Amino acid sequence: MKILVPVKRVIDYNVKVRVKADNTGVELANVKMSMNPFDEIAVEEALRIKEAGNAEEIIVVSIGPAQAQETLRTALAMGADRAILVKTDDLVEPLAVAKILKAIVAEETPELVILGKQAIDDDCNQTGQMLAALLEWPQGTFASEVKLGEGTVNVTREVDGGLETVKLTLPAVVTADLRLNEPRYASLPNIMKAKRKPLDTKEPSDYGVDTARRLTTLKVEEPAKRASGIIVENIAELVTKLRDEAGVI
Amino acid sequence: MTINPIHLEKLKKILGSEGWIDDQTDMPSFLREPRDKYQGNTPLILMPDSTEKTAEIVRYCAQNKIPLVPQGGNSGLVGGAIPTGEILLSLKRLKAIRQQDARNLTITVEAGCILSHIQELAQEMNCLFPLSLAAEGSCMIGGNISTNAGGVNVLHYGNMRNLVLGLEVVLPNGETWHGLGGLRKDNTGYDLKQLFIGAEGSLGIITAATLKLSPHPHEKQTAFVAVPDPDAAVNLLSIARNISGDCLTAFEIIPRLGIDMVTDNIPGSRDPMTQTYDWYILLEGTSSLSRDLLDLEAVMERILSTGLDDGLILDGVIAKNITESNNLWQLRENLSEAQKFEGGSIKHDISVPISAIPAFLIEAGMAVETSIPGARPVPFGHLGDGNLHYNISQPKHMARQAFLDQWESLNQSVHDVVDKFNGSFSAEHGIGRMKTDDMLRYKSKVEMAMMTKIKHTLDPHNIMNPGVIVRK
Ligand SMILES: Cc1cc2nc3c(=O)[nH]c(=O)nc-3n(C[C@H](O)[C@H](O)[C@H](O)COP(=O)(O)OP(=O)(O)OC[C@H]3O[C@@H](n4cnc5c(N)ncnc54)[C@H](O)[C@@H]3O)c2cc1C
Ligand SMILES: Cc1cc2nc3c(=O)[nH]c(=O)nc-3n(C[C@H](O)[C@H](O)[C@H](O)COP(=O)(O)OP(=O)(O)OC[C@H]3O[C@@H](n4cnc5c(N)ncnc54)[C@H](O)[C@@H]3O)c2cc1C
Repeated sequence: MKILVPVKRVIDYNVKVRVKADNTGVELANVKMSMNPFDEIAVEEALRIKEAGNAEEIIVVSIGPAQAQETLRTALAMGADRAILVKTDDLVEPLAVAKILKAIVAEETPELVILGKQAIDDDCNQTGQMLAALLEWPQGTFASEVKLGEGTVNVTREVDGGLETVKLTLPAVVTADLRLNEPRYASLPNIMKAKRKPLDTKEPSDYGVDTARRLTTLKVEEPAKRASGIIVENIAELVTKLRDEAGVI
Repeated sequence: MTINPIHLEKLKKILGSEGWIDDQTDMPSFLREPRDKYQGNTPLILMPDSTEKTAEIVRYCAQNKIPLVPQGGNSGLVGGAIPTGEILLSLKRLKAIRQQDARNLTITVEAGCILSHIQELAQEMNCLFPLSLAAEGSCMIGGNISTNAGGVNVLHYGNMRNLVLGLEVVLPNGETWHGLGGLRKDNTGYDLKQLFIGAEGSLGIITAATLKLSPHPHEKQTAFVAVPDPDAAVNLLSIARNISGDCLTAFEIIPRLGIDMVTDNIPGSRDPMTQTYDWYILLEGTSSLSRDLLDLEAVMERILSTGLDDGLILDGVIAKNITESNNLWQLRENLSEAQKFEGGSIKHDISVPISAIPAFLIEAGMAVETSIPGARPVPFGHLGDGNLHYNISQPKHMARQAFLDQWESLNQSVHDVVDKFNGSFSAEHGIGRMKTDDMLRYKSKVEMAMMTKIKHTLDPHNIMNPGVIVRK
């Protein structure tokens, strides 16, 4: 079978994000961009399934600007087989992403789509679920373990109360949580090989999808700064402060 | 040595109740050195909060010939900040930021500012203060200057000496030299600040400094590669420099044994590669050019593919995000910590010309095996600067103390080899109280005489960190 893994180019997890002076968004100029960490986990899981002999091909796809090619090359360097860039400079919302992915699924006929549970830039946590709904496929979200069976996949989910295991009939959509696996490093020989792997470039219109935004961002602001702590001299002072200033006792 | 209690009371008065500690139960963190090689003692810790108060203390001590030991973050590794009965002068309360000047690329700070704080301030100015070392969360700029600290960015930015544009110093007679200022060119006589940089507090007390900042780097690429041997590593360094010019900012060597020790002993660490190899290089490229002007990734890939083609690299990984870059650095930064789990470790902080490193490693290895059969060298560190932390873990089944008892004699065996290669027995940590014997053994008479004369001229009563660098 084939596995499709969508990957998104986002601000690196370790970058301290700065809001633009005019409050229209966050500063992206000269900021380090990397693959969304949850997508990296999704790629790793697909690779492990392939290495276990349960898949033949891994196709990675990214919807974004020309530079998203680098993100795809990273996935190829990890071991994915080929890549599709759906090039657009628009900010594409989860529903439009899901529609494009649906069209790609129709073309590529994978039996499994593994996505990250959310992207760390907009934190939407919607694409996987929307895609499953559009495809009318079963979904296993927030996966911490994925086990393939005969025409099925068992997905252990991280839910509020603990762990829940669901059995899905393939084809299915799975979204990866943090504890699913620890992604591998891209090895030097594989980085070199990745340069020769196929990378197709498409546009949203190729899939008949309109990426116009349906949401309007009113304003982007920094979260309120936390006031710095104080050091109290003794327990009596602590009690006084808790009672008189914090009003909690 | 005992200091007259009357003096202690007078000194306390100068600073007021906030400014001193005389209760021994509050002193341990000031008197223990990071590797537990020294246990200090002092009747009094003084903590002035201004240059004027510092000068007043030193003046009093000069008049009464009372010896002082200056201390910053107490992260020094040669016992230089640990008093043996002298008064301890801690600079920790001297921590004002005097001036930030982004257009002059300078920041002026007082001696007690923590290094990581200065790095953060520079970043807020959209600049870089490049000094970086594992102790950056606790060491202070006065200590960094006094030890001419090096760290992981020396390859590109130089050590502390290259980062200081001006100093304010309280001299051993209590006078203050106001030598701050942000000049990059100033040929008006002797360059006095250089005398205090690396003087380990033996010539005066640094109270403030003007530091040179650099443009903030926009892009960083970190790679971790396996090399067949140190000779290949040195050749790889040449290639990396030829291809990347100024962009190469770190080139650190790590032996397999070191990786084993880290992955065995430090939770959460893992070998980035699937196979094991004998030697590794952690290299990093940095660029202040924006991404659209320089593709640093392509530069790094060119270095590594050339290395692969030439057989200098056997395997490797490139960090694909900052988390992976940090994790690769953790392998390097945790080497000393990991060695603690392997019993006693005898340390050396040596440098030789980069081209001599392969031959040095062979000869030093033989010297160690002759002295203590089965001892396990874990040579790692700043290969790009010719500086190795030649640390030796004890043989597996030897008693820890029996091994550590050989510290001085093993040091001498290794330092003799260093000397043969025209190297230095202290590349970045200094002399302190630990290596004064080595000074007498390896420095020429002419050199020692110059140092002694400088010391006597500035500090005739020998009250400023006595016993450090020159014995008397
Ligand atoms: C046309 C011109 C352009 C210049 N441009 C610059 C410039 O751009 N930047 C700049 O910094 N300078 C410049 N200079 C001045 C500069 O100082 C000299 O050019 C050069 O550095 C001095 O070298 P020299 O061998 O001529 O030294 P000299 O003139 O011979 O000596 C200079 C000083 O050094 C001492 N000295 C010389 N040799 C030794 C030694 N071996 N040991 C100890 N002391 C020694 C001498 O006693 C004297 O005090 C310029 C000069 C000229 C004429
Ligand atoms: C984990 C670890 C990693 C390290 N890594 C490196 C490294 O990579 N490179 C490197 O070069 N060093 C390294 N060091 C040692 C290094 O010398 C210190 O970290 C640092 O530079 C010393 O600063 P400090 O404020 O702790 O000085 P202290 O230890 O307090 O003092 C060091 C010396 O300077 C004198 N001194 C301190 N402040 C003043 C002052 N204001 N005026 C005059 N004299 C003063 C003291 O008397 C003493 O002799 C490391 C240390 C540790 C513990």
